[in-house]
Amino acid sequence: MKPGLRIDALHVLGFGRFSGLTRELGPGLHLLYGPNEAGKSTLLAFLRSMLFGFEKRGQPERYEPAHGGAFGGELTLSTSAGPLLVRRIASRRASEGELTVRGADGQELSKEWLEGALAHVSRELFFDVFAFRLDELAGFERLTEQRGASEALVAASMRGARRLPEVMDQLRKRTEALYKPNGVKPVLNETLKALEDVQARLRQEGDRPARYFAEKARLASLVEEQRVLEAALLEVGAGLERLTRLEAALGDVAALAEARAELATLPALDTFPEAGESRLEDGLHRRRSYRAEGARLAERLATVDAGLERLAAPSGVRGREEALGSALSAYGERAVLLRALPSRRAALAEKQRQVELALRELGLPVDGPGLLALDLSASVRVALEELALRLGAAEAARREAEGTWARAVSERERLDGAQARADAELAALPQERASQLRQQQAGLGRLRAARSELERLSEQRAELHRQFESVRTQGEPQVTAAVLPAWWVPAVALAVVALAATAWLLAGNTVGALCLAGGLLLTGVLALARRRVEAARDADVAAQGARQRWRQQEEERLRSALMALAAREELLHRELLAASNEAGLNLVATAADMAAREAALADALERAGRRELLEREQEKLHAEHTAALREEHRASEAMGEAESRQGALGEELAAHLSARCFPPTLAASAALTLWRDAAALRQRLLDVGAEEAALAVDARACEQAASRLWTEAVAAELVTGPAEPPGLDASVLEPLAARVGAALEQERAQSLERRTLEERRAELRAEKARLDGLCHDEEAALAALLAEGGSADEESFRRRAAQARRYAELTGRTRELSHRIEARTGLSETSARQALIDVGGEQGLRAELESLRGKQAESQERQKAVLTECGALRHQLEQWENDDALAKLRIVEESLRARAAELAKQYAADRLTLALLARARRRFEEEQQPRVVQLASEHFTALTQGRYQRVFIPTGEERELRVGDGQRDWSAAQLSRGTREQLYLAFRLAVVRDFGETRGALPLIVDDVLVNFDPERARGAIHLLARLSEHQQVIAFTCHPWLRDAFAAEGARVQTLEAPATELPAPASVLKTG
Amino acid sequence: MPFKYVHAADLHLDTPFRGVATQGPLLGRFQDSTFRALTRITDLCLRERVAFLLLAGDLFDMKDRSVRARLALRRELGRLDAAGISTFIVHGNHDPLSGDSGALGLPASVKVFGPDWEEVEVKREGRRLCRVQGISYPDVEVRDDLSARFRRTGEGFTVGLLHANLGGAEGHANYAPCTAAGLGSRGLDYWALGHVHTRAEHALPGGGVAVYPGNPQGRHANEAGPRGCVLVEVEDGGMRRRFVPVDGVRWHKLEVPLSGVSTLDGLLATTLEVVESRCAPELDGHAVRLTLTGRGPLHRELARPGALAQLESDLREQLARGHPPVLLESLRDSSRPEVDLEAVCAAGGFARTLLDEVGFLAEDPEALARLWAEEALGTLAQRLKRLGVEGLEAPRAEWVVQAGMHGVESLHEEETS
Repeated sequence: MKPGLRIDALHVLGFGRFSGLTRELGPGLHLLYGPNEAGKSTLLAFLRSMLFGFEKRGQPERYEPAHGGAFGGELTLSTSAGPLLVRRIASRRASEGELTVRGADGQELSKEWLEGALAHVSRELFFDVFAFRLDELAGFERLTEQRGASEALVAASMRGARRLPEVMDQLRKRTEALYKPNGVKPVLNETLKALEDVQARLRQEGDRPARYFAEKARLASLVEEQRVLEAALLEVGAGLERLTRLEAALGDVAALAEARAELATLPALDTFPEAGESRLEDGLHRRRSYRAEGARLAERLATVDAGLERLAAPSGVRGREEALGSALSAYGERAVLLRALPSRRAALAEKQRQVELALRELGLPVDGPGLLALDLSASVRVALEELALRLGAAEAARREAEGTWARAVSERERLDGAQARADAELAALPQERASQLRQQQAGLGRLRAARSELERLSEQRAELHRQFESVRTQGEPQVTAAVLPAWWVPAVALAVVALAATAWLLAGNTVGALCLAGGLLLTGVLALARRRVEAARDADVAAQGARQRWRQQEEERLRSALMALAAREELLHRELLAASNEAGLNLVATAADMAAREAALADALERAGRRELLEREQEKLHAEHTAALREEHRASEAMGEAESRQGALGEELAAHLSARCFPPTLAASAALTLWRDAAALRQRLLDVGAEEAALAVDARACEQAASRLWTEAVAAELVTGPAEPPGLDASVLEPLAARVGAALEQERAQSLERRTLEERRAELRAEKARLDGLCHDEEAALAALLAEGGSADEESFRRRAAQARRYAELTGRTRELSHRIEARTGLSETSARQALIDVGGEQGLRAELESLRGKQAESQERQKAVLTECGALRHQLEQWENDDALAKLRIVEESLRARAAELAKQYAADRLTLALLARARRRFEEEQQPRVVQLASEHFTALTQGRYQRVFIPTGEERELRVGDGQRDWSAAQLSRGTREQLYLAFRLAVVRDFGETRGALPLIVDDVLVNFDPERARGAIHLLARLSEHQQVIAFTCHPWLRDAFAAEGARVQTLEAPATELPAPASVLKTG
Repeated sequence: MPFKYVHAADLHLDTPFRGVATQGPLLGRFQDSTFRALTRITDLCLRERVAFLLLAGDLFDMKDRSVRARLALRRELGRLDAAGISTFIVHGNHDPLSGDSGALGLPASVKVFGPDWEEVEVKREGRRLCRVQGISYPDVEVRDDLSARFRRTGEGFTVGLLHANLGGAEGHANYAPCTAAGLGSRGLDYWALGHVHTRAEHALPGGGVAVYPGNPQGRHANEAGPRGCVLVEVEDGGMRRRFVPVDGVRWHKLEVPLSGVSTLDGLLATTLEVVESRCAPELDGHAVRLTLTGRGPLHRELARPGALAQLESDLREQLARGHPPVLLESLRDSSRPEVDLEAVCAAGGFARTLLDEVGFLAEDPEALARLWAEEALGTLAQRLKRLGVEGLEAPRAEWVVQAGMHGVESLHEEETS
């Protein structure tokens, strides 16, 4: 079938934000106008999705409905094979959706129909050619800048080759980066260069294995050489050593000779004492020190002696120390006593005086001695105390009895008074009895009650009367006779029958029947009514009868009640009379009277009560009065007794007191007190006496000590004065005692000092003796030393000592030297000397040494070189054996080769591709381009409104696009941008048309492309689109009102898309990562 | 008397691996693999107490100049000598006699056949076991059919040892070409051949057999699979042949399909799985060339610059850490973008023209050759050849086709990017 299709209608089930949208399209030019976000892109995507399948899941252009629901839609297409209904719904299985194609009569067709209609164009191709978007112009401009307008346009003119310049450019770049025939930088060039280098290095290696074995042989020979060298070196070394030693010993040999010579000049001083000189010096030094020490000792000894002499002076105290000491100590013991004596005496006198004063105050008619003689023993005191107690008790008893008596008297008096009062009151009260009064009261009460009852009864009676009268007057008339007599009913019935018969005779059956019926009915009714009335009347009669009976009964009842009342009244009257009598009132007494009577009665009752009370009290008082009298009598008796007892005791006490010379009139307590005082005073007297005696004794002792002391002091010439002590004068005795003490002290010190000095003297003398001994020894030693040294005096000794030193030195040196020579050369002295001579002396020796040294150095150098070479060789061989570097090089070579091969292949492939593209392009241009260029030419003319006449590509090498206006022509690059864009548009549409002519027309979709065109050009473009739309369907989208108008002006069918009311839900997309 | 012998060839001792980094932990292990293979062959000989060992040429590569190779050979042959096992060696194109300085010092029990045909008898306890004939390459280039110089000299089992190209096998230089018929006509029982690195057995007319044991250790991706030597047991004139793998490092060419893989991590995991499943753990190591195939959502991801390289280096690092270590030689992406070529063709346009051009060139070799020359690819090929790089010798039709496809794909890149 011939391909080509047209979209007649679209129906969106659910796509992006659309749901249930239907639009009619059809042939010609269509414009879908809607503001931004109205869904133009969505619709575009919808068309594409319907024709070619939904975008993959996750792509934003899939436009899955945001809120779920149906996803898909339908397109109604016109194809050469008839109308097709294409329906595509999203399905879980296939992301591109499930496609159903139906034909005109609704039968399902294969997908081949759609694909055929689409001319088997792929989705990409369709949108390459048949979708014309805004960014295309931008892309074109970019391409123009990069590659030139011509190529850009040529690319535009080639269907499916818009990217051709880009691709060729990329390939060119890649190949250039890979390889240039004479280049250095490209990757393959570098790799090949590296490969060449590595191979060169490998070549340099030469035949490694052969070299290996050769080098191995060389190593062996070198090792041999080294061995020989070593042996030679050893020999040279030995010789050198021997000579060196000899050289070293040269000095020694000479020195030895010298030493021997000097030794010969000295005498044989082996026997000289060792360290003689120092010993001499020591000895002298010691002797000197001893001597000095001795002198010092002598000095000290003299001092001691002087001291001793001093101490030998006589003293008076000496010899008498003991006696003095004891006297002093005795005095000391008593010194305190002595000092205290006068004060004691004074105190004692004072005491005596006080005692006498107290005695006088006591009041007893005795003096001191008399007091002493008194009997004041404890028994006396006890007796006194007892008496005092008894007296006290008696006094107390008496007082108590007195009190009791006084109380009894007062009680009696009180009772007397009370009695008198009671009597007086009684006399004032009336005599009436209470019980009488009460009785009167009761009567009064009954009277009152009866009266009230009477009143009540009279009321009742009146009432009853009234009722009786009313009942009696309730008469009723008789009931009247019946309203309707009984014979009325049958009469009426007969009348009715007659009527009915008449009617029947006159008017027929029917009327007659009717009349009969009616009449009967009437009769019935009448009968019924009469019966009712009868019944009512009967009831009335019955009721009346009942009422009559009731009235009669009532009358009876009332009558009896009245009678009862009357009886009661009678009783009450009687009662009334009795009560008034009792109450003391008349029958006709008023209420006020009654009240007054009641009050009087009450008052009287009260008074009667009081009277009774008083009488009882009177009796009680009387009893009490009697008791009180008795009590009074008894109390006065007791009192008399107590007084008599007290008197007896007082007499006893007086007797007791007078027996003891106490004033007999004293009270017991006073007597006791007196007794106490007297006893105390007596004791005091005794104390004073004792104290006096002690004082006397102490005085005597002090006197004795003082006199002894004085005597001793005089004897020791410490005091001048009479032999008798001046008595107990402390002012004299005290200093004396002090002096004695001091003298004793002094004497003691002196004797101590003396003893010390004597000890010291003894020590010093011993020391001196020792020193002398040492000195003597030292002298002897010195003499011996000198003799040993073979000299008479110190001078000569010293001289010889020096010589001896030198001798020893030299001996040692010669020994040392000869040892050293032997050690160094291994020869004895003589042989060493001989060897020296053999070698030609010192000079010869040196010469020989030099030559040997030179040889050695040479050999060593050589050996070093050989060793180094050996080492290097070994190393090299080892390396070769391990072959690491070489192996690595080989690896590098191999990998470089592999890389080069790969790169070369890639390069070849790319170049081939490039070549193919170029050739294809040329072919294309030859075969297909002419038609497109021609079409483009037509379009361009239209667009520029004839300003430019043709577009052409001149033949020849350059494939440049040129435009001409008939006279001149320009290259595409020389045009203004706007004109270039028009040219582009011309080409694009030419391609579309060409395709349509050759393959089949598919709808051209123009998405707001003209927005950058000025109005004039835009109109031109729209005009062109309109022309194109004669051959194939053109669907344009825009959001600009002026474009809409322009489209409309060219006869486009304009449909409006509404913007969404709420926010546009973005197509749900979940981006998968990774 | 029954006896056994081992037939190995193309040892290529110390020849470098292709694709091993010169720095890296795996270098030593991989470089030693050829030596270890030889050691294993020796162990096999000792274990089986074979009568002799046959080495059919290319023992080492002269180009390698490896002392180590020669010393290793000497060492191993010394072990065989100590056990009383003889060795018969012929040299091939890579190790011709002209290149050997002769100072190797191989043990006495080793017989190296010279440039002229020779025959040697193998005896045990005084009795003849079999005869061995052989001839070595005097130079690298030997174009004659050397097998013509062989002939049966008498009864008994006879073995012919030769480095030759039987039947003009592709991919191998055509040295000493021979045919099965030719070999069969010589009348030998067993032709121990070398040169073709892939194991093969050819039954010969007349009852004999020609065996290529293949090389005992693969050295690049085109030598994948188990490699080893052939153990032959002869008893009463009858033969039993057994292939014994001795390679320490095995090469694999693995494909990783992209379909169903949506993340790079997933791809990594899938790849590791594939590798692990194919790489047996008992070997010393493995080397793999991975090719990503098929179509899948990751194709675009991988087309980003550096993505493939990053993936390759990650993989390489991870694989190298495994036990045994796996060397990633290269990671190639032959996944295709999702382009429906038929549709493109059907749509016509420039793509159609391009493919027409491709068709034209593919069918006309002269035009192709002209194009080749125009693009100066011939000069490049020569330069490469000088350096020993192979690949671009002659223009091939399928290259043009591939170029065309590539062109179409580039032109029709998907819109969303």
